[in-house]
Amino acid sequence: MKERLDVIRDLLDRQLVDSDETKMGRVDGIVLDIDGDGPPRIDHFELGFAVLARRIHPRIERWLNAIRARWSVRRSARQIVPWAKVVDVTAYEIKVDLKAIDTPAFDWERWLRDHIVAKIPGAGGE
Amino acid sequence: MKKAMTLALGILTSVGGFFDVGNIATCTQAGARFRFQLIWAMLLATIVVIFLIEMSGRFAAVTNKALPDAIREHFGFTFWLVPFAILTVIHILVLGAEIGGVCFALHLVTGLPLQVWALPVAVLLWLFLWRSTFSAIENSTSLLGLITLCFVVAAVWHRPPLHDLLRGSLPSLPSQHPANYWFIAVSIVGAVIAPYLFYFYSSGAVEDEWDASYIPVNRAVSVIGMAFGSVISIGAIIVAGVVLAPRGIHVDDYHQAALMLTSAFPFWGYVLFAVSMGIACLGAAVEVALSMSYTFAQTFGWNWGEDLAPDEDARFCLVYTAALLVGSLFMLVGMDPLQLTMITMALSAAALPFVAIPMLLLMNDRKLLHDAANGAISNVAAAAIVVLTLVLAVVSIPLAVVGGS
Repeated sequence: MKERLDVIRDLLDRQLVDSDETKMGRVDGIVLDIDGDGPPRIDHFELGFAVLARRIHPRIERWLNAIRARWSVRRSARQIVPWAKVVDVTAYEIKVDLKAIDTPAFDWERWLRDHIVAKIPGAGGE
Repeated sequence: MKKAMTLALGILTSVGGFFDVGNIATCTQAGARFRFQLIWAMLLATIVVIFLIEMSGRFAAVTNKALPDAIREHFGFTFWLVPFAILTVIHILVLGAEIGGVCFALHLVTGLPLQVWALPVAVLLWLFLWRSTFSAIENSTSLLGLITLCFVVAAVWHRPPLHDLLRGSLPSLPSQHPANYWFIAVSIVGAVIAPYLFYFYSSGAVEDEWDASYIPVNRAVSVIGMAFGSVISIGAIIVAGVVLAPRGIHVDDYHQAALMLTSAFPFWGYVLFAVSMGIACLGAAVEVALSMSYTFAQTFGWNWGEDLAPDEDARFCLVYTAALLVGSLFMLVGMDPLQLTMITMALSAAALPFVAIPMLLLMNDRKLLHDAANGAISNVAAAAIVVLTLVLAVVSIPLAVVGGS
């Protein structure tokens, strides 16, 4: 059966889940690749506050980038999930063949865990 | 067996979620000023909250998604941004008011000023969230919450005139102080239909791994749990109406509310009030703080879950940590807890369309819900609820200005 995907309805803003079922962020932006005479095709998803900020207004993105340049722990303003890494698009989430904890999408999570949470007793659960 | 447990726990937890600082404040004010005349507002709010809780639980059971998650996905980030920002402010204010309630209860028992208690209460709440799992939170807040039944016991003990109660169950116009009357009516609705309830409840259903087979359980929990909570709140209105109103005590301060149980329980009344208030507000504060974490994590797609250890969802845990810190500031700077509660309830009522409208649109999405989408009855209720929340949004803040205190 031929399935149809609506880029905005079915992909944008949807939850991304990695190969360990860890929630790794949402599809904050979608980038298409326009190549000469072929039809446009999805190249990658973008994640990050900068991507969200641009959706509101370019000026907010500029402010955010100015703040980011000083304080962010992220390696880059936007993280990329290549379309080639997408394993499955269900009605509820998008599964990707990546490990969230190794990607820049988890830079903040990792930084906060190592610098704050791990220093507080009881963070390990047991 | 598991479902029977879920049912029992769910009912008890919803009692805990229902009766909180907002209910204590609005119900005692309603009773003290207008005796039983505002019981109708509580009944109306209860019916609305039953429908909305049932829908948010059904949604989570079928889609395995909590509401903030689904709203961002469905309506997009740019739509969700404004409600998200408003609800974040409301979450913080409600948390501040609940912490205020706990601080006041401790103040009643110890005599120490509220400022002293603000940080210890925040730390206690934080420790609880940091260390325990979702089911531990459900169990403890629900069982301890049963203490609030003392309001029902006191209400029955006072033998209120039945026909006055029935008359109060139907809306009527006040003979005096109309602005104050409508302000309290709106605040009761704002206190009962607290936005955090739906985000907490639907996220809790996902944490407890509900599936479509939980729809009947969910329905029973919503109806019985909310009705049970409503009975306790009506108990508080009745006791305030019998004890405070004839003495002309207008509740401008929680100290006056604290007197209400002393006729029914001469020796223990004061302590019983303090313990009920402390426990009800502690339970609600936990739910509000978690609801804030759920909303943030789902909005940005972070890993979340109260059953995960903090080092598995650092951002989730840091949101409630920050919320508790900010929430404790209100008492720390010496704000009056009753005033904070009443302002919060009016703002909370004003924000209800942001909660109700996206939720009701989602409930009609057959692509997500299939057969479990809203039927005719739910949709008629839904339409009425949207109209009600829009009216509340328009009138609540002006009423707070002219009718407050």
